Amino acid sequence: MTEPRRRGWLADLRDGLAYPLTSNRRLLLAAVATVVTYSVLVLSAFPQFAVQILTRDPAQFGYAVTALSRQLYLGTGWLGVALVAAYALLTGVAVTNAVTLLRRARRGGASTLAGVVPGLLAAGCASCGAGVLGTLGLLGAMAALPFEGNLLRVGGILLLAYFLGRTGDPRTCSIEPSR
Amino acid sequence: MGSESKITRRRALVAGGGTLAFGGTVAYLASRGGSSEGAYVPETSHTSDGTTGFGVELAGRPIAGQADAPVDIYYWTDYLCPFCKRFETETLPKVGRNYIDAGDARLVALALPVIGEYSMPAAVWGRSVWATVAADEPAAFWRWHGAAFDAQERNDNDWATEETFRQITERTAGVSLDAVEEHRQSHGDDVRASITADAEFARSVPFRGTPGFVIYNRESDAAGKIAGAQPYENFADGIDRVLEA
Repeated sequence: MTEPRRRGWLADLRDGLAYPLTSNRRLLLAAVATVVTYSVLVLSAFPQFAVQILTRDPAQFGYAVTALSRQLYLGTGWLGVALVAAYALLTGVAVTNAVTLLRRARRGGASTLAGVVPGLLAAGCASCGAGVLGTLGLLGAMAALPFEGNLLRVGGILLLAYFLGRTGDPRTCSIEPSR
Repeated sequence: MGSESKITRRRALVAGGGTLAFGGTVAYLASRGGSSEGAYVPETSHTSDGTTGFGVELAGRPIAGQADAPVDIYYWTDYLCPFCKRFETETLPKVGRNYIDAGDARLVALALPVIGEYSMPAAVWGRSVWATVAADEPAAFWRWHGAAFDAQERNDNDWATEETFRQITERTAGVSLDAVEEHRQSHGDDVRASITADAEFARSVPFRGTPGFVIYNRESDAAGKIAGAQPYENFADGIDRVLEA
């Protein structure tokens, strides 16, 4: 697992993506983070509606997510829906990997910092990206962006994938600091 | 990193299945149109030239229900707005049956053209149809109104054109295309001014999007606000509370 190697970014990305498969708890964490991210993304795209429904009766959470998923499709088509779903999945993986990195950083001290930073950036960019996407979704402002905001979603996904690939399997140590 | 940390076939299958289930659920939610009960046509409609206690001007605005209903529902809408379509098909028929036709509430259709280029012209069409049928056959307006939402298509606003609205007007029973066209020509500026007034009022509530609702008790002055196509229960609950307030 830890043999020194020089590998492509794609192989690292694959390792990074497969990491949540290494334990039941990690898999569960990734699943929960995915669902939470998806919900946050669709709810924050229509903040006034979401806030009013949820403050009135939090049990209507399901209705809100259902109604807004439909709206997302009506507004951006299948591509927009697929991008948001992919974004949520990648965020789920990134959060899981970041948790491991953080634990390791606490044990390992500063020497592992170089390995930790890209992973944290991935999770951070994911969660902050969700906020940015949501805020931009305000009042359908997404519709004013190129391709109804799909360009921004693609950008977020590429950034996530890039950082996941930089980190690779969060259990490996970077022997050669990759630049 | 003991043997526990292996990628097992079982977990891979669970993850693959989970991913498929997640994607499938999202696709299902996105494609689900919701139950449609067809367009709501109120039993009675009326006109008014007054201004309500809440400050809404009624002249030229379609009003469903009885003139002496204790509660007003101000409904800001846009024919290009998918959320409004959801309200029209899933919620309005129930609100109509249980409150408007029962005499407890009247619904005032106000314009908030925000979605696309043709939002304003579409609202002008609506007001012009109402102006030509309000006196003799107000139900025809609600048929036209339902048909306009029915024509709404997903994903873009390309469907909303002069031609589309002309066709809807032509095929709606009880509406005369010639009379509506004549009204659009001769009263266009007045109609646009009244729509602009509606939109400014909506922004002062404030509503940032459509549909927006204010439920107002005409006697006690109590009012509540609902933003968006919320489930019917929230409307029923809101109207009940304002009725008793």
